[in-house]
Amino acid sequence: MKSVVKGFKPSKLAIAAVLLLLPALFSAIGFSYGVLVSCFASLYIIAVSGLDIDFGYCGQISMGHAAFFAIGAYGSVMLHKYLQLPILATMLIASVLATIIGAVIAYPASKLVFHFLSLATIAFGEIVYTLLLNSPGGVTGNAVGLFTDSINLFGFKINTYSRFYYFGLVCVGIFLLAKHLMVNSRVGRAWLAIRENSYAANGMGINVTKYKVMAFAVSAFYTGFAGAMYAHLVRYIGPDTFTQKQSVMFVTMMLFGGTGSILGPFTGAVLVLMITESLRAFEQYQMLIYGFLLLMVVVALPGGIYGETKRLIGRIAAKRKGGKAHAS
Amino acid sequence: MLLEINNLCLSFGGLKATNDVTMHMEEGKINGIIGPNGAGKTTFFNLISGVYKPDSGNILFDGKRIDGLKPFEINQAGIARTYQVINLFKKMSVLDNVMVGMHPRLTSKFFASLVHTKAEREEEARAREKAYEWLDFVGLKDYALEQAGALSYGQQRLLEIVRGLASDPKLILLDEPAAGMNSKEKEELNLLLRKILQKGVTLLIVEHDMKLMMNVSDKIFVLNYGKKLAEGTPQEIQANPEVIAAYLGGDD
Repeated sequence: MKSVVKGFKPSKLAIAAVLLLLPALFSAIGFSYGVLVSCFASLYIIAVSGLDIDFGYCGQISMGHAAFFAIGAYGSVMLHKYLQLPILATMLIASVLATIIGAVIAYPASKLVFHFLSLATIAFGEIVYTLLLNSPGGVTGNAVGLFTDSINLFGFKINTYSRFYYFGLVCVGIFLLAKHLMVNSRVGRAWLAIRENSYAANGMGINVTKYKVMAFAVSAFYTGFAGAMYAHLVRYIGPDTFTQKQSVMFVTMMLFGGTGSILGPFTGAVLVLMITESLRAFEQYQMLIYGFLLLMVVVALPGGIYGETKRLIGRIAAKRKGGKAHAS
Repeated sequence: MLLEINNLCLSFGGLKATNDVTMHMEEGKINGIIGPNGAGKTTFFNLISGVYKPDSGNILFDGKRIDGLKPFEINQAGIARTYQVINLFKKMSVLDNVMVGMHPRLTSKFFASLVHTKAEREEEARAREKAYEWLDFVGLKDYALEQAGALSYGQQRLLEIVRGLASDPKLILLDEPAAGMNSKEKEELNLLLRKILQKGVTLLIVEHDMKLMMNVSDKIFVLNYGKKLAEGTPQEIQANPEVIAAYLGGDD
């Protein structure tokens, strides 16, 4: 915690200034669409950071996280629509719901390894999607979807993109700080140990099933909350947003940015979103683009953009240090 | 008796990997298990540490039944182990490997870890200090922040041992700790095993290196084809004709 406060270097101050002034900068250059994209970036960062807790730290792949995105979104919208609960409360309740469902799914799934786990999570994603499309009594609005309101923060309506941007910024800050604290603790060490060698982790007294369920549930909370943010940003949800394509997008963002870090998923979410947005004209080729990006990272950049950049900087620094030591 | 193993059996298909084995081990001793290749030594270790469940028989540790428990529960009960094949958390730091070893002795739960409560921060600070002490114990303190996978083979073996010790066990199972070590490293290992005993940890060692075992063990058990062939002091074992026959392949 201390380093967060102490480490206020000029470069960090500059980044903070840019983040705070971003909406103003966008409107100054007449690119108000940029504000909306930044809003999307904030919720994708949260969703992908959550997926990274599950995959990057605990080593469990999920190809069905769109399901938790959907549970967060539909949960919040329906709780508001049918029970008239205030929207911020519905977002949190829906995220908790995603967490519980995540834990229930994770318990049997924790016994599965890589490709079997990805198949199981794909199936789960499809089940949720089908339920949205054919819900009992049409509570989800089926193919038509549901309209909803903006977030209401104790009377302050978050009904413009700029306002949502700042709300998103605060949320990203909270979620990333929480992730940072979690992974640097006894729990985070247990997750990493499971990722590295679950057989040995078990032998070291770690209840592997329990910690796998925990990681999956936490990641469902993150993605669920992001889904709720999505719903109240767009103010409309339909099943088409929550297809397999969405899950693939999360995984692409995560792998492209780099797993097992705080800034990797951040980088990945922002970059992939920018690529997707600038290629809007070729929307029908979206899956092809994701496929290409995935192939690129898997083959050329196994650490992702952030991971590889960090490695490169580390190597240069080490070389420079080594060179100096040699000279002196 | 710290560890009582009674009539333990395990078969893989038709193969009796462990066949009616009874062993009693006292606290505060170095116990060795020897036997020719394929005698069922590692299987026997995996039975004690919960990787396999016995078909019949029982295991009592400190007077309590532990057979049928899962590996993590057996570790929590006070039995740590190392592996024949190195099973470190390679991409974690050396220090974190030791701190993972402490996992069952630390108490911070999920929400304490999420908000880093005062109690959690204090516990983590104590654990880190203790982990450095453990690393110092095996001479790896200077490597604390290196990746575990970057250590030399001998150092990785030491880290495996100290990661096991970090859970403050009453008994530690060492599966071929001297494998791949040169003679100098073996001498250091010999000293380390005695230092571990002085800390009040009972040892059970599976090892091929006969010289080391005869030198360091208080009591030796000999396994052959899954059966216990003999037990006794190193002198008794060396004089036992059945053991000699098993090792030399005599046609009794």
